[in-house]
Amino acid sequence: MIRKRGLIFAAVGASVLVISGGAARAADGEIALFANGEDLATDGFVGQKRTRDGWELRFDHIFVTVDALAAHQTEPPFDAGAGGAPAAVVTVEFDTGGPVTLDLAAAGDDGRLLVAEAAAPEGHYNALTWSVVPAPGGDWAGDWAENWAGQSMVFIGTATKDGQTVPFTLTSDDTHAYACGEYVGDERKGFVTAGGAADLEITFHLDHVFGRADKPADDPMNLQARGFDAFAGGGPQAINLAGLHIGHVGEGHCAVSDR
Amino acid sequence: MPSAIASGPVGAVVALMLLAAPSPLLAHGALLELAETRAVTVHAHYDTGAPMAAAQVAVFAPDDPATPWLTGRTDDDGRFTFVPDDRAGRWAVQARQAGHGAMGYITWGAAGPGEATVLATASPAAPDGLQRLVLAACVVWACISTALYLRRRRAEAGEAR
Repeated sequence: MIRKRGLIFAAVGASVLVISGGAARAADGEIALFANGEDLATDGFVGQKRTRDGWELRFDHIFVTVDALAAHQTEPPFDAGAGGAPAAVVTVEFDTGGPVTLDLAAAGDDGRLLVAEAAAPEGHYNALTWSVVPAPGGDWAGDWAENWAGQSMVFIGTATKDGQTVPFTLTSDDTHAYACGEYVGDERKGFVTAGGAADLEITFHLDHVFGRADKPADDPMNLQARGFDAFAGGGPQAINLAGLHIGHVGEGHCAVSDR
Repeated sequence: MPSAIASGPVGAVVALMLLAAPSPLLAHGALLELAETRAVTVHAHYDTGAPMAAAQVAVFAPDDPATPWLTGRTDDDGRFTFVPDDRAGRWAVQARQAGHGAMGYITWGAAGPGEATVLATASPAAPDGLQRLVLAACVVWACISTALYLRRRRAEAGEAR
């Protein structure tokens, strides 16, 4: 099945082939899409990697809800720094059946969570678009939906500093739409060959939320990060994530718009 | 006359010494051959202006884009220069430092960098682009060398006529 659907960032024109998630064709391969909160999600902000204001954070859960996931072959390669829309010639939409809530703190040893898989025509998928959206309610999310429906990111854990221990729950209902270029990391990703499999990754840089004590205080990331002092009272509190560039593709940049 | 070879008996002795000299001595000879070439210089820096000094660089050739063709590090000014081989097409360059990275691309044509286009991607190290990391594949040197090459070709063609 081939269909076209409006995407926030995807430049869907007459020459753009848009493939829905389950549509396999001759000479197709597969793409697996992962999410990764890195060691800051699974191990927490510990050791040298405390928050910018010196708190250790350990997470029980980091819930993030994503939607409208799509991989693109773009020509020319998408320049996330310049913004705009990727010039997609092939788009593969991941059919997740709606928003998907992930727990970044529950990732395995490699820090990655499988989000979706899709058949994909051959080529290099050098751009990725997705959105972080408020979670809908429903049985699919269990207790979490009952408590946190309407939130797009929820951080649940314990903070410690100078002998003080603070259980916290930080919630955000912000919506962020990301348009990213090519994955940047130890290896290039996204090369689909006939019958082959490739993977892509959306990467959440949590140090953009809380800052890092091992970075200079005047590091632009630390200047923008929220830190934890403001939440030292503990318990459920709202956190404003607007304007923060949390989503990446590995170390690669994404353009982000907040709603 | 800046140099000369002795003649007569002395010259014969010298000639014999030269003939008898052990050949390994020739291994100490150093020869330089200089030629112009086309090159690409990558300038990797944050948008604060700070260079990405000693950043990891990987260069990918058009026909094997998943395998690094060349790796290295930028200099203190964030620059890295390489000479692509004769494979035409889109070359990709990746630079990474301290958890931030970017890709740059250059289309390298057989006819020279006059066909080259440059696209740089950027990675912000902070919100609002305050520390956007920019990797720019610079082709200035390539264009200059090509201009010299073409000028020389024209001059040679003119002499031939």
